[in-house]
Amino acid sequence: MEEDRVFSSSEEELPYEADRSVTAESQKYLLFLSGGLLFGAGAEYVVEIITNHQITTLPLVPSYVRGIINLRGQIIPIVDIRLLLGQEPADENCIIILNIDDTLVGVLVDTVQRMLDVPTNTLLPAPNHDQQKLVSGMCSLGEGQTMLVFDCHQLLTQS
Amino acid sequence: MGTGNDSILEAFLFETNGLLEQLDSIVLAAEQEDTFSDEDINTIFRIMHTIKGSSAMMEYDSLMTIAHRAEDLFAIIRDKSISVVPESLRPELFDLLFQTIDFFRQEIDHIENDQPLTQNIDSLLQKINSFIQQISPSADGGAPAAQAAAPQAPAPQAAAPQAAAQSTTAVAGFPYSLQVFFDEGCGMENLRAFMLVTSIREICGDDDFTFSPESVEHDPSTAAQITESGFLLSFRNQADRDNAIHVVTGAGSVRTYQAIDHPEAAAAPAPAAAPAPQPAAPAPAAAAAPAPAPAPAPKPAAPAPAPSHPGAKAEGTTHHKESLISVSLSKLDELAAVVGEIVITESMVTGSPELKGLKLDTFTKSARQLRKLTDELQDVSMSLRMVPVSATFQKMNRIVRDMCKKLDKQAKLVLVGEDTEVDKTIVDSIGDPIMHIVRNSMDHGIEENVQDRIAAGKDPVGEIVLSARHTGSEVIIEIKDDGQGVNYEKTLNKAIQRGLALPGVDYSHKDILNFLLAPGFSTNTEVTEFSGRGVGMDVVKQNVENVGGTVTITSEPGQGMTTTLKIPLTMAIMDGMEVSVGASIFTIPIHNIRQSFKIGQSDLVHDATGGELFKCMGNFYPVVRMRELYQIEGGCTEVEDGILIWLEAGESSYCLFVDELLGEQQVVVKPLPSYLNSFNIKRSGIAGCTILGDGNISIILDVGNLYTPVQ
Repeated sequence: MEEDRVFSSSEEELPYEADRSVTAESQKYLLFLSGGLLFGAGAEYVVEIITNHQITTLPLVPSYVRGIINLRGQIIPIVDIRLLLGQEPADENCIIILNIDDTLVGVLVDTVQRMLDVPTNTLLPAPNHDQQKLVSGMCSLGEGQTMLVFDCHQLLTQS
Repeated sequence: MGTGNDSILEAFLFETNGLLEQLDSIVLAAEQEDTFSDEDINTIFRIMHTIKGSSAMMEYDSLMTIAHRAEDLFAIIRDKSISVVPESLRPELFDLLFQTIDFFRQEIDHIENDQPLTQNIDSLLQKINSFIQQISPSADGGAPAAQAAAPQAPAPQAAAPQAAAQSTTAVAGFPYSLQVFFDEGCGMENLRAFMLVTSIREICGDDDFTFSPESVEHDPSTAAQITESGFLLSFRNQADRDNAIHVVTGAGSVRTYQAIDHPEAAAAPAPAAAPAPQPAAPAPAAAAAPAPAPAPAPKPAAPAPAPSHPGAKAEGTTHHKESLISVSLSKLDELAAVVGEIVITESMVTGSPELKGLKLDTFTKSARQLRKLTDELQDVSMSLRMVPVSATFQKMNRIVRDMCKKLDKQAKLVLVGEDTEVDKTIVDSIGDPIMHIVRNSMDHGIEENVQDRIAAGKDPVGEIVLSARHTGSEVIIEIKDDGQGVNYEKTLNKAIQRGLALPGVDYSHKDILNFLLAPGFSTNTEVTEFSGRGVGMDVVKQNVENVGGTVTITSEPGQGMTTTLKIPLTMAIMDGMEVSVGASIFTIPIHNIRQSFKIGQSDLVHDATGGELFKCMGNFYPVVRMRELYQIEGGCTEVEDGILIWLEAGESSYCLFVDELLGEQQVVVKPLPSYLNSFNIKRSGIAGCTILGDGNISIILDVGNLYTPVQ
C-alpha cells in the first residue's frame, strides 16, 4: 500500500515535490539486469537472492512460469521475466525472491547488480502506462543509465 | 461489552456453545417422547443456570434475563415434575425452548461478531412469563405461583433467621462444621458456594452433610449473607470434613475457613430424631433439618430433590474435565507441520546418498526404530485432529424437525455411524454441505402429500438416513431419503431451460443427475425458506471438492435419492508411489493405483481416433501417456521400456504410461503456491506437491482430474 502511495505521488504531485526538493525522501531499490535492461525492484519486496537452485518444471503452464522451487521447505513459484517481457531466454539462474502482499514469488533474472538509494522526486512515471509491462516508473541514474521501476503488483496479476 | 479479556470471552463462547448444543439435543429427544425425564429437567435447569451465571459475569444482560426466566420455568417443572405441564401445552413448551435456544444462538453470534446485543427481548420474555403463568395456577393454588414468579422472595426470609443461628450453633445431626469465607469482592459468592457444595458431594454422600444458606444455587441474594457470615458446611462425620477441607483449600477465591466442632449437637439429636426417618427420606430430612421453622412450607421440599441429581451430573462432568483439555486448532496445525517436517527429514537422513554402498548394521537398526517412532508420532498427531462427526450429524436433527413443522411433512432422521472420526477441518467443511442436502431431501425429496407415500406403499413417515463410515483412506457420508426420487424428465427440462443442457441431445440418467450439481440449478420453481435458491448443490460440490472429496448422486424414481460424499481421511500425509517420466518425478496416491503392468506393443489396441486402449480384467481402458499429456521432454516412447499403471479414482479408470516406478513413500502434501491458481493448475490433474528426501520436489497427481484434459 505504501508503495502505491509513493508511486501515485511521483506521478501526480511531482511538480510540488520538485519545488521542495530540499525535503527529498529516498527509497531503496535493488538493481538487476534482465535482457540488457536495468530494472529496480523496491527493496521492501525483496526477501533474498539465490542462485543455482534446482527448478521443478510444472506441466501445462505458460512458458514464463518456469516451475517451483523448494526453499527451505517453502514451495515458491518461479517466473522468468525475460520470457514474460518477450526477451530471449537465457541460462543464467539468478532468482530474486519477492514478497508481494504475503505472496512469495521468485523472478529469474540475468544478474543482480546492487542496492541503490533513489530520491523519490527523481522518479518519473512510465510513459504509456498501459503498454508498459511490469514497469511502473523510470529514473535516470546518471552515467547514462536509466532504471525501470519494476512493478511487483503487476507481476501477480499477470497471467 | 464484556471484560475485554479475550481468553475469558473465548471460554465463555466455547462453554455456552457446548451447552446450547447439549440443550438442543435434550429438547429434541424430549420432543420425541413428548415429555421430559427428571434428569432432562435437571440438566436443562443447570444449563440455564450456568448460562445465567456466566452471562451475568460477562455482563450480557439480555442473555442473563432470558436464562433467568427459563431457569424459573424449569424450577417449577422440576419441583412439580413434568405433569405440571398438561399434554396440550407441551408443544408450546418445546417451541418456547427452541425459541430460547435460537435466541441464545443469535446473541452468541452477535457477541462473536462484535455486534451489540439485542435490546428488545420483551416478546420472548413475555412468552416465557405467560407460560409460567399458565402452568403455575394449575398446580396447587397460589403458593407455587408466588414461588414461580419470584423464587428469591421466600429465600431471604428463610435465610435470615438461619444466618443468625448458624454462626454459633451447629445444625442438628451434623456436629462437624466448616465455616468458609470467600475473598472480599470476588463476586457471586452464592455460586462459588454452590460449586463448593457440588465438589464436596463427590467425596461424601448427599445426606452426610448439609450447608447453609441452602438456597445458594438459585438465589443471588444469599451472596451478601455469605459475605457477611461465611458459608457454613456441616458434616456428620469428622473424616468427611477433613476431606472437605482439602476441597475447600483447593477451591478458588477462598479467603479462609474455620473448623467448628459441636459434639453436643451430635449427641442431642441422634436419639431424638430417631434414625428411621432420616435414611427413609434422606434428602428432605437433610434439607429440613437446618431450616426448622421459619421457612415457608413449600420451600424445603423444593431444593431437596434437586441436589441429588445435579450432584450425579456434576460428577460426570468433572471426570470429563479432568481427562479432556481444549487446544487451539492452530497449535495442532503447527504440530502437524512439524511432524511433517520430521517425516521428510527422517527420510532425508536415512536415504542420504552418502550412505550408499555402506554396510551399517547399527545405523540401519536405529533408522528402522526411528522410522517406527516417526510413524507413531504421525499417527498420534493425526488422531489429535480427529473428531467424531456426531456433533455435525446431531445438528441435522434440528433441521429435520423445523422443516417438518414448516413444510407440514412427516419425516424422521436416522443417524448411522456417528462415531466415525474425521479430521477437524473436514468436519468443519462438511457441515454446510450436509445441511444443504438434508434440506433438499426434506424439501424436494420427501413427498408433499402423505397420501402419495401411502399409495406408493411406503411408511407415511419419511425417513432420511445420514450415515458415515470409513474405508481405508476415505470417509463416506451418505444422505439417503426414501422420497419421490429425481424426476429425470423435469430435471432435464429445467437444465435445458437454464442453458445447462442442449435440447435434442440424449442424456444418460447419470448426466441428468450431474446437472443437479451444476451452478445455478434448482428444481424447485418456488424459492422456499430452506432451499430452492439454486445455490445449494453446487456449493455442496465446491465445499466437498475443496477438501479433496467427491459428490455423487444416485436416484431411483419413486424410491428416493442418495447423495454420497467421499472425502479423504486426511489431506496432510499420504502414501504415494513415486514414478518418473523423463527428468520429472510424480507422486501417485497409492489408493488410486489398482495394478501395474509391463506390456509389449502388441498388447495395445488402437481405436478409431488413434487412441490407445489396454485390455485387462475383461474391460478396455484408455492408455494415457504421461509424456504426451504433460509435454515432457525425454522419457520412454516405446511401451516395452516403460510401465503401465492402472489407476482408478471415483468414476474414471484408465492406464497411465510412465517410465519407471521409483518406489513407495510416505509424503507430506504441500499445496501449490497460490500464485499458480490463476493458471488453472488444479484442472490439469495436479493435487499439490511434496518435498522428497533429497530436497527435490515431486508433483502429486490428482488421478480423478488428470484424465479430464484428455477427454
